[in-house]
Amino acid sequence: MSHSVSPHTSEKAMDIVNNVKASSHRIRNSIATIFGVVALAGCATNAPQDTWQPKGDNAQIINNLQWIVFPMAGVVGVLVFALAAYTFWKFTDRGQPIPSQSHGKPIVEIILTIIPALILTVVGVFTFRGIFELAETKDTEMIINVTGQQWWWEYDYPAQEDQGITQPIISSGQLVIPVGTKILLRETSRDVIHSYWIPALNGKKDAVPGRINLLRLQADKPGIFAGQCTEFCGLSHANMRMEAVALSKEDFAKWVANQQKAYTPPADGTLAKEGEGVFLNQCIRCHQVNGLKKADGTPAIAAPDENVYSGAAPNLSHLMSRNTFAGAIFDLLNKKCRSDVWNASSETIGEKYLAGVSESCLNANDLRGWLRNAPAMKPMYADPTKLVKSGGKYRGMPNLGLTETDIDKLVAYLLTLK
Amino acid sequence: MITPGSKYFFGLTGLSLISAILYMVLVNPSDLGAVALFGLAASGALIGAMALFTRDGDVYTDEEAVAANAVAGPPSFWPIVFALGAAIVLTGLVTVSVVFILGVAVLIGGGVEWAIHNWADGASSDREFNTFARERAISAIEYPGLAAVGLGIIAFLFSRVFLALSKESGTIFFIAAAGAIFVVGILIASKGFMKGAVTVVVAVLAAVALIGVGTFAALSGERHELAVAAEEDHFDASHRECGEEESEHYDHHANNTVSLRSAVTATIFVKDGKVYAEAIGMTKKVDTITIPRSNATSVMFRNLDEEDHRLVVNLGSAKVAETGVVEKVGTCTQLTGKNQEQVMTLTIPKPATEAEPYSFTVPGATGEIKLVVP
Amino acid sequence: MSTNELTLTPGNALDVAKGKLVVAPTQSLGAVRRPVNTTGWREWLFTVDHKKLGIMYGTVAFVFFIIGGVEALFIRLQLALPDGRILSADKYNQMFTMHATTMIFLFAMPMAAAFANYFLPLQIGARDVAFPRLNALSFWLFLTGGLILNASWFLGGAADGGWFMYAPNSGPVFSPSNGVDFWILGLQIAGIASLIGSINLIVTVLNMRAPGMTLMKMPVFTWMILVVQFLLVFSLPVITVALVLLMFQRSYGATFFDVSQGADPLLWQHLFWIFGHPEVYVLILPAFGIISEVLPTFSRKPLFGYPFVVFSGASIGLVGFGVWAHHMFASGLGPVSVAVFSMATMAIAIPTGVKIFNWILTMWGGKIWYSAAMKFAIGLVILFTIGGLSGVTHAVAPSDTQQTDTYYIVAHFHYVLFGGMVFGLFSGFYYWWPKVFGKMLNEKLGSWNFWFMVIGMNLTFGPMHILGLQGQPRRMYVWTEARGGEGLFNFGFWNMVSSIGSFVLAVGVLFFIINVIKTTRNPERAPLDPWDARTLEWITTSPPKVHNFDRIPVVHHLDEFFHRKYVEDEVTHTMKQVATGEELVRAEEAAADADIHMPGPSYWPLLLSIGMGVLGMGVIYGTPIMVVGGLIVLFSSYGWVLEPSVPDAIDFDTPSTDGHTKEIAPLG
Repeated sequence: MSHSVSPHTSEKAMDIVNNVKASSHRIRNSIATIFGVVALAGCATNAPQDTWQPKGDNAQIINNLQWIVFPMAGVVGVLVFALAAYTFWKFTDRGQPIPSQSHGKPIVEIILTIIPALILTVVGVFTFRGIFELAETKDTEMIINVTGQQWWWEYDYPAQEDQGITQPIISSGQLVIPVGTKILLRETSRDVIHSYWIPALNGKKDAVPGRINLLRLQADKPGIFAGQCTEFCGLSHANMRMEAVALSKEDFAKWVANQQKAYTPPADGTLAKEGEGVFLNQCIRCHQVNGLKKADGTPAIAAPDENVYSGAAPNLSHLMSRNTFAGAIFDLLNKKCRSDVWNASSETIGEKYLAGVSESCLNANDLRGWLRNAPAMKPMYADPTKLVKSGGKYRGMPNLGLTETDIDKLVAYLLTLK
Repeated sequence: MITPGSKYFFGLTGLSLISAILYMVLVNPSDLGAVALFGLAASGALIGAMALFTRDGDVYTDEEAVAANAVAGPPSFWPIVFALGAAIVLTGLVTVSVVFILGVAVLIGGGVEWAIHNWADGASSDREFNTFARERAISAIEYPGLAAVGLGIIAFLFSRVFLALSKESGTIFFIAAAGAIFVVGILIASKGFMKGAVTVVVAVLAAVALIGVGTFAALSGERHELAVAAEEDHFDASHRECGEEESEHYDHHANNTVSLRSAVTATIFVKDGKVYAEAIGMTKKVDTITIPRSNATSVMFRNLDEEDHRLVVNLGSAKVAETGVVEKVGTCTQLTGKNQEQVMTLTIPKPATEAEPYSFTVPGATGEIKLVVP
Repeated sequence: MSTNELTLTPGNALDVAKGKLVVAPTQSLGAVRRPVNTTGWREWLFTVDHKKLGIMYGTVAFVFFIIGGVEALFIRLQLALPDGRILSADKYNQMFTMHATTMIFLFAMPMAAAFANYFLPLQIGARDVAFPRLNALSFWLFLTGGLILNASWFLGGAADGGWFMYAPNSGPVFSPSNGVDFWILGLQIAGIASLIGSINLIVTVLNMRAPGMTLMKMPVFTWMILVVQFLLVFSLPVITVALVLLMFQRSYGATFFDVSQGADPLLWQHLFWIFGHPEVYVLILPAFGIISEVLPTFSRKPLFGYPFVVFSGASIGLVGFGVWAHHMFASGLGPVSVAVFSMATMAIAIPTGVKIFNWILTMWGGKIWYSAAMKFAIGLVILFTIGGLSGVTHAVAPSDTQQTDTYYIVAHFHYVLFGGMVFGLFSGFYYWWPKVFGKMLNEKLGSWNFWFMVIGMNLTFGPMHILGLQGQPRRMYVWTEARGGEGLFNFGFWNMVSSIGSFVLAVGVLFFIINVIKTTRNPERAPLDPWDARTLEWITTSPPKVHNFDRIPVVHHLDEFFHRKYVEDEVTHTMKQVATGEELVRAEEAAADADIHMPGPSYWPLLLSIGMGVLGMGVIYGTPIMVVGGLIVLFSSYGWVLEPSVPDAIDFDTPSTDGHTKEIAPLG
């Protein structure tokens, strides 16, 4: 397990901290072999949302606390159960006389009050420190706005010259971050309360409408980390997932450059060009593609606020640079390509992720199914007859009634949005 | 057990309920006709219930002994009240509706009292029991009724005093009044300090004072600012001036009541005539604020200068549908005094065009904060 | 009204010896004759007898337990396999919302109320509660609330926002069916029931204890019920306010939780959990009370450290009001608040730990009899300890941000509430069944019941610890294999184990039902003191007579009944029996009081509850229905105030010659 010590700690203090941590390592390792073998033997391997596999500083702080409180609870539990079991066995009715009606000994009571109080004080001190460590935001290096809505996440990266972001980037589903960078998520929501949770990087933090909640993330190594909305947010709560993709700083710069690349319309006469027409006819009502122009040359601006209750739909610029769609529950990559990226080593993942979605890797089945009839694939409030209370606005993508040829064209067009 | 009299009134209740519902369905669910029919139903039910409870004024129908009941009760003044009510109702019909409503209240009150009084008189041959029966039956109506009326009057009078006094003296007045009530309460609670009679005198004096002050306040009208404000109608949400303040008495104190400090995305300051901003989570001052589109977002404005300022947000321009004229889009806060703050809640559905970027400005101060909606 | 003898109808004699109370109709006031204690259904519909109401509470609560349990089985069926298709997303959301709501508000609270109603007056040597008609009103309002809540299944779908019903997801746009409206009104009405009940029980305990029973001689069950009633009195108004706000938002266009109008949705969370956390102790403390009776009885020792158990119960109640925000560690409170609530939450573990040690030390040095009741009580001690320890792990706020809203929390609170509360209640069933029905539940079936429940419960909720720590969030209608990990022990394995466990658990409950049916058919009567019990409820017949005690007992000891049976041997310090329970009961019967006045039955509580139900429906279905409901409420309130709680003297036969009349329920 790796530790990084916050930079403002003086060197001497660092030594002490390291010593303490080293000895706690030894103790921890020995406890791990006893406690861990028993408790963890029954666990799944490689569960993507395992809360005991920290992959970054913040999650590590939490994990250190878990390693204090869980074994402590375990030891207390074992002692109590041993005492109880002995009592059950020893004082079974074997014909002994009815005992003296003693009402207890205050001294025993006081001792039994003080012992748990002491244990909890120790836990409390560590907890206290952990809470304030996790709330630290002063040394933030990069800011990303995260906005939840039913049932997907939007990320926007405000312009930050020092991170190479010269104009705002907007994305959804997969949060792309550089490794070794202290990232601050400013979370909010457009409709109900959601909760952002990437267990490998930090605990969860609710996205509350009208509020900005802060959550720090930092990934140690490149990789893809799974997450899931964890505040019940209505019908399709189960279908609101997200992933954090950590890239090396160089790869991240490439990703940023690609996201800031200007829109190139498909060549005239291609199927994709016809798809652009379909897009301008249908999809543009809600989905923005930055730089897309209408036939008359004016910019095509989506108006999701007129059609969707939350007022937003995923921005599809550079869609094919992402691996997932529809609240990250469907893959844009087919099974083979997806597992290729998912299981990539930390050295190769950047290259594989930045390759995006090629035609041969496309999960055409799910994407076409989605375009054909989205509400059939994900429960949403998209029945036009049941929108009285939301003023006729949808909550989720409705069935657009596209023909198969329209779908062919659209898929061809979407593939150009790299 | 249902007596003939109550049957009649319950029938009336049922009929009027049915007609009220039919009326609502077929004619108009919200006009006076429905209210009248429901009123009729309510009255029918009340009188029916009374008839039922008083067994049509005949307590012990199955007791022959009751026939001997011929003891007259004390004279009743309720018929007079009832008649008075009828007179007020008639007056109300030709004058204002308040009088009519008052008349109906008097009429119903008098009628109920009369009916129960009359019933109790014939309840038994025992005057003492009759008194007991009357009180038991009427207290259940009188006490809640009188308490409601009394509380209503007290609240109304206090509100008149509040509206007539200036804000500062209003605060002092009510602290004093609350203190006095508290002290008297303690005195009454600590037994032996105040005897029954003294308590009554204090209560009567307080009531007289409240009625006197309240009536005087009601006659003298609302305080100047409120009267002017009502005329200017600047409590109306659409009443926004983003330039020179036109209203004479805008609510300076509203600035101190901001409760949203924990839920703002950014705070914009004016200090020494310059505008700057801080955003939640960012350690340095910012010159750009990014807010997600279509998301209700609050921005706080804090004035650190001597003179009053207001925050204006410029959201480009748009064609007004009816007139076809292109007008500037934007809104602003009220004028904000030194060290005071205001919150502006924005929901911006679209990104800005390149020609007209969004921004926050403060008239009378230099600098602007860019507003980006990706 | 001595002068009204003229108007007397011939009344029937009050026959104390037969335990039968007959009240003639009063004609003194009011047109509607007050109901007479007859047989058949009327006896139950109009009763104000705390024992009958207790049985009705228990029966209805148990029915809701079955309903909530079936809902849970549906949930487990859906989650047994990945991408389950048994329920739609919408139905699943309704299912888990109603499972929690039913179990908490319609099973746990009323079942505790059932025990409290039945045994609290008996344990303090009173003849009824202080306000018998209010007691009946509590029950009928609870039933009305429960029916309204469950009616929503058939009227367009039940509530789908979770039992916590977080704003703004509970608003009209996000939950467009009427389910949430039914939920609000059902809870509001059930809340009135609890509030009335709690005031009633507080007054009863404080005013109606038998002579000699000081507060510190009160049985622990009564103590815990008293603490719970105070919790209710202070927490229910908060949820009432929250529900009113939500009702106005949904039905009348208010914007209390509408962010675009400047509202803060966290207001709801604060209001809800200021109620919701004390509610947790409202659920668990009665079970603590029950096993604090059962453990001493079956260990033949008094409760170890009685004052510590009492005061730790009271301090759990008090501190319970200061920890609500630990349900909101992820909601962005800021580090200072989080730290404070984290510490307070750890602090509450201390009195809880004291209780567990005291229970174990009660058994220490005892003479333990492993009856079914005792097994369930021990089950509580062990399972609650597991739940308590996992509770400490999320008192550590940072650790909680990984655990909250995952199955780890589901595991934790089911260990606390199922392993704790439900086991406590079942312990109570076995312990007090002979008292209530005069028949013994079968011990053998009880053993099957216990073991199936214990194994089922651990199979169901144990794996949830692992699932949660490995990242399976709760409240999801499907889980996906993509997040389920690899190896034999992946999510598929543990979810399947949990689902199988839930059916084992259901079989355990089935054993209880079979046991009840079998016992009902068995003609054999239970002995008067089957457990060699310790407290006052056993000093009367089983089931107790209408007036509970033939003579109000005078109390000298904690565990009065035990100390009347046994005296300590000066030399050996062991206990020597001087009388049997049976003898003591017979002695009381021989010294019975004459002329006991009991409160008369009444129509009004039932009618008033019906009116409240109609009024509630009016909020959903329009003003005319509201008017009708309002009229019924007014009518029955008027009828109620006209009717004296204790029938007038004229309703009885003339007193016996010595003029000795025992008045009860003096507070009306």
